[in-house]
Amino acid sequence: MNLYVGLPLLTVVALVQSVLLSRVDLLGARPDLMFLVVLTWAVARSVDEGLVWGFIGGLIIDLRSGGPLGATALALVVVTFLAGQSWGQGIGSPVMRLLVLALVGGLAYHLILLIVLAWTGHTVDWSFSLLRVALPSVILNMVLTPFVWQPMTWLGRRLRREGLTLG
Amino acid sequence: MKQSPRRPWLPLMLVIIGLFLLVLRETGYLSPVESVFGYVLDPLQRLFAGVTADVGNMFQSVREARELRAQIEELQSRADTLMVGNIRLREYKAEVEQLRVMLNFVSEYPISAYVGADVIGREACDAFPCGEVIGADPNPYLHYITINVGAKHGVEVGDPVVGAGAGLVGRVAEVGPRTSKAQLITDSDSSVAVLLQTSRATGLVVGQLDGTVRMKYIPQGEEIEVGDVVLTSGLGGVMPKGLVVGEVKAVEGMDYELHQEAVVQPAVELDRLELVLVITGFEPVPRDEETPPSEATPEATPEPTPEGSLEE
Repeated sequence: MNLYVGLPLLTVVALVQSVLLSRVDLLGARPDLMFLVVLTWAVARSVDEGLVWGFIGGLIIDLRSGGPLGATALALVVVTFLAGQSWGQGIGSPVMRLLVLALVGGLAYHLILLIVLAWTGHTVDWSFSLLRVALPSVILNMVLTPFVWQPMTWLGRRLRREGLTLG
Repeated sequence: MKQSPRRPWLPLMLVIIGLFLLVLRETGYLSPVESVFGYVLDPLQRLFAGVTADVGNMFQSVREARELRAQIEELQSRADTLMVGNIRLREYKAEVEQLRVMLNFVSEYPISAYVGADVIGREACDAFPCGEVIGADPNPYLHYITINVGAKHGVEVGDPVVGAGAGLVGRVAEVGPRTSKAQLITDSDSSVAVLLQTSRATGLVVGQLDGTVRMKYIPQGEEIEVGDVVLTSGLGGVMPKGLVVGEVKAVEGMDYELHQEAVVQPAVELDRLELVLVITGFEPVPRDEETPPSEATPEATPEPTPEGSLEE
């Protein structure tokens, strides 16, 4: 694993998420850059790299959060695992498949976050969380997926050309 | 595009490690490790927050410059009038300086003295650590902020955090060496014992997931008026008395219910926080010295609040 590239990148993503994007609230929806980066990386490069990215990126996010450490890491590992399954392979173009994965993965991501929060004793309003936060966020992240896909595929090509791997 | 993990054990191993971390965190064994990571990430976050603020200010400055250019001509014409006003302002300035000295004096004394102050001036930072907000919680279901003061500034877990006008912001939940995480009153695990300024009716202000707060467990017989000021009651001993929480925005509750509820507009704009004050001088009353059962109020018993809530 090339930690010299992966770690700074994931740290910057986590800081952008914590400092800038966490203040964005579009009708309950919040862009989740770490989720998008991990998902697109898993599709663009490999699931193995996505799993490692998801775990490390999730831990950095958790360290910036007041919530339980490991919650986001677990959620992102599951998202990447879902991205690695063969059930979505037959869906049109890579971007189209990515949108479907963003939908399924996004729902799984929020569901796992909520389960972990409930498990660790936090108050969880399930109906409000799912309908007013998770659903709008999943839709917003689906819309944003192609915008993250482009730079991530570019980065993937660039690293491949230089013989670097991130996971 | 490569799919399916080449290492099939990797997802399972990461999930197990994740679960292990969750358990360790809940049992408190990870605090030293988190502090170590805090040493690395906190300065980075402060730097990043500073850079983004500077960039934001730069763009704002460009926009403001255009507006200012248009205003210069208008202001030029008012210069003569302002000249006269300036003499009067000097008089006011002298008066304000005296008031500031008084405010500084008052702020070093009991915390209730803050109530009614319009602005927490920088001079208050001499008495209590002022923290700049450098991040919000990346988890969409939690309402925490990261502030740039920590254990080195005397901040401890449980310290109340206030914003402008001594409005309650929340309470410190985690303390790092140079930064802290404060749980906002809007967090769904937060509950604060409060009373209404006019009727003195007591209740609990509980955070909601949508970022609002509600005052619950108000006895049915109490008359609540929209606009009534909500203050911390100090009951339970974990929060000083008299901090402004907000004002009643709407009253809800059916006649057949035991308690009424009120929607509360927080006194502080929690999503636009920039500078907060951490009250480090307040000593919470130990649990065994809390209100005796005979004086039990709704705050003491209403429903079990989860671990980590503002009022335990």
